[in-house]
Amino acid sequence: MDRLIYTALSSMNASMDRQRAVANNLANTSTPGFRAEVFAVKAATLRDGSIEARAPARGSVRGADMVEGRTRPTGQPLDLAVQGEALLAFQAPGGGGQAGEVYSRRGDLRIATSGVLENGEGLAVLGQGGGPITVPRGFVISIGEDGTVLASDPAAPQAAPEVVDQIKLVSREGTALAKGIDTFLKVPGGGVLPPDPTARVTSGSLEDSNVETAETLVQMIDAQRAFEQRAKIIKTARDLDEASSRLMAHR
Amino acid sequence: MPNSALHVARTGLEAQDARMRVIANNLANIGTTGFKRDRADFATLAYQEQRVAGQQSTNQTAYAVGLNLGTGVAVVGTSRIDTQGTLNQTGNTFDLALDGDGYFQVELPPGGQIAFTRAGNFTISPQGNLITGQGFAVTPPIQIPQGSQNVTISPDGTVSAMQPGQTAPVQLGQLQVANFANAAGLRQIGDNFLVETGASGPAELGIAGQFGRGQIRQGMLEGSNVNVVEELVEMIEAQRAYEINSKMVSAVDEMLRNANQTL
Repeated sequence: MDRLIYTALSSMNASMDRQRAVANNLANTSTPGFRAEVFAVKAATLRDGSIEARAPARGSVRGADMVEGRTRPTGQPLDLAVQGEALLAFQAPGGGGQAGEVYSRRGDLRIATSGVLENGEGLAVLGQGGGPITVPRGFVISIGEDGTVLASDPAAPQAAPEVVDQIKLVSREGTALAKGIDTFLKVPGGGVLPPDPTARVTSGSLEDSNVETAETLVQMIDAQRAFEQRAKIIKTARDLDEASSRLMAHR
Repeated sequence: MPNSALHVARTGLEAQDARMRVIANNLANIGTTGFKRDRADFATLAYQEQRVAGQQSTNQTAYAVGLNLGTGVAVVGTSRIDTQGTLNQTGNTFDLALDGDGYFQVELPPGGQIAFTRAGNFTISPQGNLITGQGFAVTPPIQIPQGSQNVTISPDGTVSAMQPGQTAPVQLGQLQVANFANAAGLRQIGDNFLVETGASGPAELGIAGQFGRGQIRQGMLEGSNVNVVEELVEMIEAQRAYEINSKMVSAVDEMLRNANQTL
């Protein structure tokens, strides 16, 4: 039996995996701050003979597309959109602070029962000290352009708002980020990103998912047709086999 | 699971469907007194790691990148957007609106569970108690004696009225306003009522206009804070996103059909 069909099979699997990554991107067109996944296929050339004709395809998610998504005004004072390339730092879920930091552009913040500031996914946003930010009860919370969390006492409107903490904004410049299995961006192998003192946030806005639907639909058709072409290769291999067995039968 | 792209697209369809339901509910309640619009919160589902980064690819080498494939999206919850609705003048004595944060307290029968509402379209029971349209008593109870005239409710909730044969108004009680550490955590139980949950924290009762509580406006009602244009834009967005996901389903379907026919 020819090995051609196995090479074609590996690429069929790669296109199906790619289609799944595309489906995931399309499914997340409405998730705030979502970063599209980039799927890449590379040849895993087998060096077993004199010619390198066999190169099964191996697909993988190469990371996230970090292009900025569109910002949409919501009017909610606790919704944040990060300007530029900075990221918001969050406490990794589970492990009570020992699990390290995860990064996200999702800034739909809210106040949990405990008074901790968390985003729509339930991640506690980190302050300058590296711990979660706890806001005082009954105060009106607003967030400044540099991420400063201000609390003003509604009973004393004349008093200057009190600074609670400053949200940790980090720069990803020069550091590779990868999406973990828990869907959050983190530094592979542990580690934290350096703070970005120049980062700015816009309160009252949310950043949408950066999935470009038109582009992703083209990728979908691309993956679909590639799958069909590879199925055709397998069919061609069968035709070739049948032709040679017919030749044998005529003898 | 070779065809799980189908299931990923299915999660997208389900999530957009849930979002559409939230939008439909917002639009349906555009005329509901004190209604607050909801926003569907989307979140990615967990990933499936098919090949772990750092795993051995051969004896000497390891994979530099893993094959993490997402499993789609889900609506993890809805957040109530607690912005102020527009105040509409009605002129009715017992129509009360809260200008700012806070909730009126109502005792639900049976058992007297306390619920909270921003719909202040109250009336008077035959016994003279301040009640909601459904007949549930406002707490602390306000008793308005028969024959009272010129009932006034001040911005801080003080209820006073002129009694027959008297020249000065008599104070009848004071309404209290509840607020919460996290009002977004209140649970909707229908009929404009909300109940406290572990996420909202306990109600902090106090006088209207103090410590962040809004003032009471007599003769006004708070309209819903639903913005039609915003909802319609969201509706179009949800509809298109639904279509895109259904396109994905048919694309995978075609791939599998093609494999079936060709192979």
